[in-house]
Parts: sequence; C-alpha cells; structure tokens
Amino acid sequence: MAQQVKVPTVGESITEVTIANWLKKDGDMVKMDEVIAELESDKATFELTAPQAGVLKIAKAKGEVVPIGTVICEIAEGGGAATVSKPTPTKEIKTETPSTQPMKATGAIKEMKVPAVGESITEVTISTWLKKEGDFVKLDEILAEVESDKATFELPAEANGILRIVAKEKTTLPIGGLICKIEVTEGGVPAAATSAPKETSTSQPATTSVSYAAGTPSPAAAKILDEKGIASNQVAGNGVGGRITKEDAVKAQATAPAKDTKAAPALSPPVITSGGSRNERREKMTSIRKTIAKRLVAVKNETAMLTTFNEVDMKPVMDLRSRYKDQFKEKYGVGLGFMSFFTKAVCVALKDFPAVNASIDKDEIVYHDYCDVSVAVSTPRGLVVPVIRNAESLSMNQVEAEIVRLATRARDGKLSIEEMTGGTFTITNGGVFGSMLSTPIINAPQSAILGMHNIVERAVVQKGEIVVRPIMYLALSYDHRIVDGRESVSFLVRVKELLEDPGRLILGV
Amino acid sequence: MQYNVIVIGSGPGGYVAAIRCAQLGMKTAVIEKYDTLGGTCLNVGCIPSKALLDSSEHFYNAAHTFKEHGIDISEPKVNLVQMISRKAGVVKANVDGIAFLMKKNKIDVLKGVGSFVDKNTIKVTASDGKETSYTTEKVIIATGSKPTPLPFAPFDKKRIISSTEALELKEVPKHMIVVGGGVIGMELGSVYARIGSKVTIVEFLDSLVGTMDGTMGKELQKATKKLGMDFYLGHKVTSVENKGKEVVLKAEPRNGGAVIELKGDYCLVCVGRRPYTDGLGLDKVGIELDRGKIVVDDHLKTKVDNIYALGDVVRGAMLAHKAEEEGVMVAELLAGQKPHINYLLIPGVVYTWPEVASVGYTEEQLKEQGRAYKVGSFPYKALGRARASMDLDGLVKILADKTTDEILGVHIIGARAADMIAAGVVAMEYRASAEDVARMSHAHPTYMEAVKEACLAATANRPIHL
Repeated sequence: MAQQVKVPTVGESITEVTIANWLKKDGDMVKMDEVIAELESDKATFELTAPQAGVLKIAKAKGEVVPIGTVICEIAEGGGAATVSKPTPTKEIKTETPSTQPMKATGAIKEMKVPAVGESITEVTISTWLKKEGDFVKLDEILAEVESDKATFELPAEANGILRIVAKEKTTLPIGGLICKIEVTEGGVPAAATSAPKETSTSQPATTSVSYAAGTPSPAAAKILDEKGIASNQVAGNGVGGRITKEDAVKAQATAPAKDTKAAPALSPPVITSGGSRNERREKMTSIRKTIAKRLVAVKNETAMLTTFNEVDMKPVMDLRSRYKDQFKEKYGVGLGFMSFFTKAVCVALKDFPAVNASIDKDEIVYHDYCDVSVAVSTPRGLVVPVIRNAESLSMNQVEAEIVRLATRARDGKLSIEEMTGGTFTITNGGVFGSMLSTPIINAPQSAILGMHNIVERAVVQKGEIVVRPIMYLALSYDHRIVDGRESVSFLVRVKELLEDPGRLILGV
Repeated sequence: MQYNVIVIGSGPGGYVAAIRCAQLGMKTAVIEKYDTLGGTCLNVGCIPSKALLDSSEHFYNAAHTFKEHGIDISEPKVNLVQMISRKAGVVKANVDGIAFLMKKNKIDVLKGVGSFVDKNTIKVTASDGKETSYTTEKVIIATGSKPTPLPFAPFDKKRIISSTEALELKEVPKHMIVVGGGVIGMELGSVYARIGSKVTIVEFLDSLVGTMDGTMGKELQKATKKLGMDFYLGHKVTSVENKGKEVVLKAEPRNGGAVIELKGDYCLVCVGRRPYTDGLGLDKVGIELDRGKIVVDDHLKTKVDNIYALGDVVRGAMLAHKAEEEGVMVAELLAGQKPHINYLLIPGVVYTWPEVASVGYTEEQLKEQGRAYKVGSFPYKALGRARASMDLDGLVKILADKTTDEILGVHIIGARAADMIAAGVVAMEYRASAEDVARMSHAHPTYMEAVKEACLAATANRPIHL
C-alpha cells in the first residue's frame, strides 16, 4: 500500500511551503521516521519524516511552492526493485566466480545523481574527474571527487560500464543533479563482475530510450549556458534527440539555488574600458527574503510610522559592566553584555507607557501586560527576530543566556516558528555593524522598535563643562496611530534615564 | 596603460586574437618582427605551399590527363621561376589583406621584436635597433614555431633545406630526398614529384602521416606512389652530408638490416616544428617552458595572471585553424565571455593530391580505448563525380559507436577532402549518428555523396552504390 505524504500544518498563518530540499531521491528506500525532505516556510525550515518504510516516489520537485495539505510524495510499502542510486547491500554481494564472458553492453544506462550528502547542503561542485569520458569503470570504483561547501567526498560508480560524463569539472550541481551516466555492461571485467549490472539492467528499462546525445549543447549553446552559469543537465533540450539548441540556451534560466549565476555580458556595444570584470550575478530570492521584503513594505504602507531620537551616556553602564563582568561570567557562565541592560530598561519603560507595548487588531487596541521582547538577529539567510518571553520577569543573567541561545539557533537556522512569533516590542542593534543613527522599521503588528547604535566618545556638556563621554544615540520608531508623541518621547527618555543611572532599574523608579 | 591588449606575433593565432579583441572594444596592438604580417601560415606555410600545390597540380594534369580529356597541347614545360613569383603574388595579396584588416579594426601594428620588460611592459626593438616600450593590461603570446633541424645536420639552406627554402627553389630538383613523411613532407614532396622531380621519402615510423588514421597513410602511399615517389618507412636517418653538388643521406632500418645510402641534389628536412620563444624575455615575467612550449591552463592563461599564449607555442596540434580558434577564445575570455574549444574536433588536413582530412578519433585510438565501434567506408572509384573528374583515388571512412551509432571519426582521402571535412566537424559537434547523416540529402553529383554512402555503410552496411 502506498501512503501519500502531505504537507503538514506547520503553524497558523502559514498557507504554503517551499520544498527546500529532498534528502532522499525518487525511488530510494526510506525507513519510518527517516527525514526525507526539508520544507521551508516564510518563517522557518522543517524536516519532513517518512510516515512508514517503503520506496519513495516524489511528486513535487525541489523548489516548488505547495499549499498545506498537498501530496508531495508517496511511499510504497516494501519493494526492493527500485532505481536505487546508492548501492544497497544486496547490490554489493560479489559473485564468487569472476565472469569470463566477453564484455557486453546490456543497453541499460545508469544515471548517477548527486546524493544527499548532509543537511543544509544544497549543491556540490565536481572538483576532479578521476575517470575519463568513455572509461570502463567498475562498481564502487571512485569516479570523481565532489566538493560541497563543507567537505570533499568521493563518488563511487554505481554500476559496471562505460562512463559518460554529463557534468564537467567545476560544474556546480544541486542535490539530485545528473553527474554522469554509466552504460551498463556485463562480463569481461577482470575478477570484479558483480550481480549489480544485471539487476540494474532489468530494473531500469525505461532509461534505455534516452538518446546518447540528449542534453548535448550545440557549440553556441554551450558558450551561452556557461556564461549564464547553467549546467547543461538543467536544461531540457528541444533539438533532435534532446540536444540543446541555441534557442534552448538563450531561453534557459538558472533554477534555484543557482549560486554565482552570471548574466551573459551584453554583446553590443561591448565597451571595455579597464579590462575589469563586468559580471553581474542573479540569485533567486529565498522564501525568507521574499517574506522580509513583503512585510517591510507592508509596514511602511500600513502604519503611521515616525522616529524619535535621544542620546545615552553609556559611562555608568560601562563602568558597572567592567567592574562586574568577570564575576558575572564566573557565576552565571554567560557574559554580561549591553543587551540585558537595554532589555530590562525597555521592560520598565514599557510598563510605564503601555501604548508602546500595544498592538492594533482591527478596531481594537490590544494591551499586553507582559513584555515579549523581540531581538533582531542577522543570519546568513536574512534577518530573523526571535522573542525573549516575559523579559520583564527575567533576571539579567537569564536575559543574556536567552539571547545567546536564540542567536545561536538563529545562526544555525534552527529557530522554530514559536520562537519567532508573538513579541510585543523589538530591539535592534545596528551598532554592532557601526551604525551611528538609523530609523528602524516596526516589526508588525508591534507598535514600536528601539534602535541601538554604536558607542562613540563625544564631547558633551555636563554641569557647565565640556567632558568626553561614551555616547550612544537611540532611535524609537513607533506607530503614531496608537502611540502619541508624548508617550513615545517619554518612553525613550525613560529608557535613557534608566541606562544613565542603572540603580533605578533595581528600584524601579 | 597604453593598450588593453598587446598581441606578440601576427600569425593566424595572433592577428585573429587581435581582431576579436578589437571587435570586443579593447584597444589593441600587434607586434610583428618580420616586414609582413601573417606569420608562418601566410608567408612560408599554408598559403604559399597551397599556391605551389595548385600550380604543380595544373602542370601534372596538363602533362598527364589533358590528353584523355581531349585537350591536345604540346608538351608542357615547368617555369619554376614563374611558379615561385606567382606564389609570391598570392602571399603578397594575403598579407596585404591582413594589414588592411588591422587598419580597419584600428589595431596598431608595432614592427620589431617584442620582449617582456615586466608583465605590463613590452619593449619593441625595430630592425634599425631602435627600442620603444609600450604598456598594456593583457598580453597574448602568439609567436608560433620554426622548423626543427636534424640534430646532426643543421639547415645550410643550400642543399639541406627546410620547408621555407623549399618554397623558394630556383630549379626543379632532380632528386629530392625528404626526411619525414608527415604532413609538410608529403605536401612539399608531392609538389616536386608532380613537376618532375624524383622524390624519396624517408620516415622513421612505419606509416605516412602517422598521427592520422592508419588507412589514410596507406591510401596516401598508394596514391603518391603513382607520382613516382619512393618510400623508406621505418628508417632512421643517421647522417646527411652536403657534398657541394649533391647531398648524401644514410639511414638504417629500425628493425635491423643494411644501411641505405641515398644521393640527391636536395634534402628537405620536415621532422617537425619547435615552439618559437627566442628573445621574448619570458624569464623577466617568470613564464616556464615545458619541452619548449609555454605552459598554459585550460583557458590558455600562463602562470602570470595577465599573460596568455596560444597557437603553435602552446600544447596541441600546430595548425593555423587551431590557433585561430584559440585567438577568438582568448579575446572572448578577456571580455568576460565563456567560449569553448573542442580540441577533438579540430580537423587535420594534408594538402597533397588527393587531399587527406580527418576529424575525431582514429581507428587506432578507438582500439586503444577499447571502445566498440563500427566502420563504414566508401571508395571514390564508385562515385560518379570522381569518375567525371578522373579523381578516382581515395575513400571516405566513417567510424561510429557500435551501440549508439554516434559518429566518432571522419577520415577522408580524395579530391576536395579538405573542404569536405567541415561537414564531419558539424556532424560531430552536434553528435550526429551515422544514420543521421545518411538520411540527409546530399546533392548529386558531388564528392560529398561519398560521405553519405560511407555513413550508410557504417549504419548498417547498406551503401546504395557499392
């Protein structure tokens, strides 16, 4: 019995997911609860596990966007006869007596595809071919070295036969991309004939009809594809026998994830002034990036956002920190940073000015009697905003520990949706990148966001004298629809006062 | 920098690279040490040898086949001085054409010997000793090659001559001994055989044009034997001596046996060509040579980032059209494009008559690879067109994959083979099967029908006219 696997409901408000990666290939044997695919929503990445053991039949390809509930694959129970790409144990049984028959082509063609080499690896580069086009290769013989961004591994032959290289050296292929074909032969192999070719030949009759020339680009097409950074195996050839015509190449678009995809340089007028590179790169936006873009524009359009500024003399906090940071670290095992001061100061100020901690829900204002503080974290995949729950009730060390935990998970791409939803107020720190001043955009549906910036020694006047103080500018962007100027400005002043006199944090005054 | 690109050498690799660079908008100069542009190919190679080959072919026909064609003329005589001067006119027209192309593409021609000062500066020394330095972002080395002498018998340019002198002879040799039965030796040997010289070929290998498919060498030997050429294959030349009025050559059979002694008035040495890098100052930029050749990567880039090299001076066949492809490739690479060259599909041609041309794998290579292949051949004898022109020598041989029928090699010996081979290149670039070509209409009556018939033979041994 084949069981259909549907996209599970992964969270409220998520209506569709992108198939980020198939970790198993079509026809692979999968075990129950084995992770077979990675799905990406606009918020997070999930793993999809097999509900039962059996043979995987993929219905939706990598990169497709599918609504919740869509059948994306089927798992047929049992079944050993499959187009198993990795040699399964049964295939590795060696026959005791070497074949003495002359080498004979069986007519079958074994297509070798990029295996799933690890989580988070979406593509690999063929670094070196150890065998040449047309070479006779034996089962399990190493054909090529393949490189991912994490490691180099060897690619063993999946059958005995004649090697037909599809992806040339330095080509980058997605997981599942066609690397080479082996024209399966029988017999004639000195002392190394195995049962594999026969098995493959009987199980793969469908591939024999593929033309030897399928996917061969014409000379002009080859140049165009290379300039676009598209491997020829990613292009469907419309020429005779599946050959790739110039037109096919001109129309071809890189499929995600196409890193380093280069647009063909404009041919006319070719103005070369310095001989420097004129390459451009085009990359498909990730789901996360698209969501960020959509939401930021929506906030700009749908709120009455403006920003108020203030400055903080950081000397008191810095003094306190330098005095106790070693003891703090020793006692709690976590460093004492500025974030805990800001988080705690914000919590106190939010209690005083509840509108800043509120949000609009249609015709109602929702006031939150708790402070779930979102912290913006920059990751290689884009900006994410995990939430420190009930920050108002956490101690300084708990805040620091929570930030470290969330930031680590964010950078590893492991944040769950729960960890990123909710949030009543956001803190973002552009100072870590050296920003002097900025106007952050509200993290909807929240009503305000605090922007921290770099700390710079500035000449300030205190008690009638010019003194040098470490100053940080603060910015508070807020939604004027529910937060008035008096509240926002007072809120920011309150934060400033708490930071310039940290003792007030303890006393709550 | 004064230039985006300076090309050193104006042969078919160099001038093509320069034109393509100019087309792509680069400010380009080309350096040439000789008075005329065009390099070996135009001045002392392809073009002049073809001029003489055609002249000698006309003479041969006038002397031997006109009668049968029904043209009665009194016995024709060779006017070698006129032949050589007509050849000079052909060369001049061609090199002037290159000069025009340089002007048209606004390429500066710098006359003199180019050598590196550093990787961005080239010093050009004119024939009067005047030195000028030019700065450039990129350099393309296209300095080509020179004939290799025998180690024990340097060219004296009188009796022991290279191909260059063979294009300028003042008299028809009585007996020309040619050392080397490769492409150049066979081409020039056949020129003089056709105008009445006794020609003897001494070749170290056991076959003529040894890099080509074995059938080609055998057929070429049969055809040129009819011109009266003699062959000593498998012979190692041990000495060549200029005795003033004659030259004496000694050679011993490779498999043992008696030493032979040949006497002639000229000894033409065609044992190969060596890459020419003299005076380039490669040591100034740290470029290394491997057996004389400049070491380059797949993109023809040398060890030095902004310096490229192409043509005879780098690895691969020493052919003008190979250099031209490389010239285009380097220029396009410099412009950020990604051109390809499929070196397997660079055709090889011998301009004897019958001509020999081939592309792809030879039968010997397929055997060595252990590849299962089929052979289809078709003789010119069975071709209406060939019979009409009395060019009955030759055949077309198609090698195809046994299972897929993909064409793996095309080998032609016969009239117009050099022009016909382009069809083989097209078919193989598109990975046509033998049957694909066999099912395409070929005009009748043409020599190309032999290709179609050979493909039919390769497909399923079913030629129509055999």
